[in-house]
Amino acid sequence: MTDAILEVRNLSTHFFTDDGEVKAVRDVSFSIAPGETVGIVGESGCGKSVTAMSVMGLVGRPGKVVGGEIMFRGRDLLKLSKEEFRNIRGRDIAMIFQDPLSSMNPVLRVGYQIDEAMYAHDKIPRDQVERRAIDLLAQVRVSDAARRIRQFPHQFSGGMRQRAMIAMGLSNKPDLLIADEPTTALDVTVQAQILELLRDLNEQTGAAIILITHNLGVVAGLCKRVLVMYAGEIVEEGTVEQIFESPQHPYTWSLLRSVPRIDARRGHRLLSIEGLPPDLIDLPQGCKFNPRCPFRVERCFNESPPIEQVAPAQYAACWVTMERAYAEMGAGDIIDTSPGAASGVHPAGRTLPAAEVPAALAEPVGD
Amino acid sequence: MTDTIVAPTAQVTPTVEPLLRVVNVVKHFGAGGGASVKAVDGVSFAIMPGETVGLVGESGCGKSTLGRLITQLIPVSSGEVYLDGVDITKLRGEKLRQQRKQLQMIFQDPYASLDPRMTVGDIIAEPLVNFAMIKGRAKDVRVQELLRTVGLNPYFNNRYPHEFSGGQRQRIGIARALALNPKLIICDEPVSALDVSIQAQIINLLEDLQREFELTYLFIAHDLSVVRHISNRVMVMYLGRICEIAPSEDLYTSQEHPYTRALLSSIPVPDPRIESKRRLVELSGEIPSPLNPPSGCRFHTRCPIAQVPGVCADVEPQLELKGDGHLAACHFSEQVRTKIAIVN
Repeated sequence: MTDAILEVRNLSTHFFTDDGEVKAVRDVSFSIAPGETVGIVGESGCGKSVTAMSVMGLVGRPGKVVGGEIMFRGRDLLKLSKEEFRNIRGRDIAMIFQDPLSSMNPVLRVGYQIDEAMYAHDKIPRDQVERRAIDLLAQVRVSDAARRIRQFPHQFSGGMRQRAMIAMGLSNKPDLLIADEPTTALDVTVQAQILELLRDLNEQTGAAIILITHNLGVVAGLCKRVLVMYAGEIVEEGTVEQIFESPQHPYTWSLLRSVPRIDARRGHRLLSIEGLPPDLIDLPQGCKFNPRCPFRVERCFNESPPIEQVAPAQYAACWVTMERAYAEMGAGDIIDTSPGAASGVHPAGRTLPAAEVPAALAEPVGD
Repeated sequence: MTDTIVAPTAQVTPTVEPLLRVVNVVKHFGAGGGASVKAVDGVSFAIMPGETVGLVGESGCGKSTLGRLITQLIPVSSGEVYLDGVDITKLRGEKLRQQRKQLQMIFQDPYASLDPRMTVGDIIAEPLVNFAMIKGRAKDVRVQELLRTVGLNPYFNNRYPHEFSGGQRQRIGIARALALNPKLIICDEPVSALDVSIQAQIINLLEDLQREFELTYLFIAHDLSVVRHISNRVMVMYLGRICEIAPSEDLYTSQEHPYTRALLSSIPVPDPRIESKRRLVELSGEIPSPLNPPSGCRFHTRCPIAQVPGVCADVEPQLELKGDGHLAACHFSEQVRTKIAIVN
């Protein structure tokens, strides 16, 4: 896609720790069209936040972007000087974080913190800044904005703080807003309001949104396209309908079957994913999901599957894919989800029950 | 989706005595200046042997306080908690200790609830040692048996908690809770700190253990989908009081309290087609302070169908039977489903 506002090509970000090189993000490529809403889903340690931090140029020591390109409106962000990057960050690309309390300065008034972003970039004329801050706060549905703007973060509830954070993010009319778990710390009723707000803002302002979350339901409601990450790689990409209705990667498929749904008939057992995500310092050979995959075949142990087109606009990195798993391995009736259970592939030395994998060797790295 | 039908975990017959009966329990925390936070304000319910009862509500509603009151980790301000027919709020010292053996708790944070300086074996054996039930070789055998029961390698008993992942630590916490063969386990947000793929492992484990050891659970969580999945009945709490108790099958289809309906409407479903039709019941304002809860029905300040001024602001509704095993505290429960739309 040439009209993409953001195009990430072969991005790799590693962390150089005392224990070894943590390969947190490896060879990740995706693009975002103007005004698009894209979800990045995965569990902790899958690299979703590190991907966002890399795009924002916020990866600090011991982390480093070790390869790839991040093209934003045709310019490679990785080649910019610090000064040039600062002119884009917070202005054209903005980010909102999970925990609004720790991302705000407790001793500065909320209004000042919203103004700050605008003064820093001179995109908004100075005489309009204060007026705009009040308008923004009203736009994110904080009532009595003119008074609220003079209050401190502790006088705001969790949901209000997240609204204020969103107002800050939108203050310079960015082209792209990256929301990293924006509702994870909030109650469900507040979460629903914030998601509705993001949906409306996307329509009103035309800003593209990258939503990073572990909650599949949240993605289904807000995003048009979804990237699924596992162990530092994108394992599947597709439209929201494709991902939820015909996932082709066994990880996506398993993830959807492991969460209880509020609208489901009760009494069925959850299909859990056995075992743990791999250690990012010492990754398994071949497909990174093979130690947990019920549908693995011999090839999965040796060769890493490339991400390939499986349907129009849908891509998956799997040697088997769910289409074959349904046709040949009875995926529709699977009860045992232990590794290799459906395919019957248990190479020697890999038959240890999942829960007995030595913890020290399989400790996931938090993000 | 494949549905593996599992046998119902509880056969609730009226002739059986409840394992746990909570009667009008109140907990007020002093907040200085004569004010008090009414964290739990008159809660009554019963749990039958073998049953799983879920308790949901948003942060600050008092659900965790209620769990701690039942275990007597904090004393009640007033009210009674009957465990197997004995009011444990009246017991002190050794008698309370002995009675409490039947009652165990699993905590939310698997990182904070295990002593980092103890080996896993010592953590799991601690309840056994406290009650001097077992020692020496027999203790080691029991610890290994418990580790195996929760799906861990029995030879992990000499390792320390930091060597384990979150899900594995939660298994250790479960093994510790099982050590004394309790009848009732209070699970306080046992899966909310875990990753999605690990949550299912722990939920399935809890279900398996319940069948194997005839356990009774009080399952406290903010995630209504998880609670509904594991529970026979679900209690919904708002601002220190229970506003609805419903069989899990009914909860999604027929709500008798506006708050339950609003809560359900805000839960995202991993299905884009359902999501595009879901309509959020917008609750006005914020949760009022438990220092000074609203008069009459506590929910009337945010309720979409409240009659204010009128009965909702004046009279506190009590839990009343609205259907088979279905209770709700609402003056206008018959209007909940007709007047509040949750689909477009």
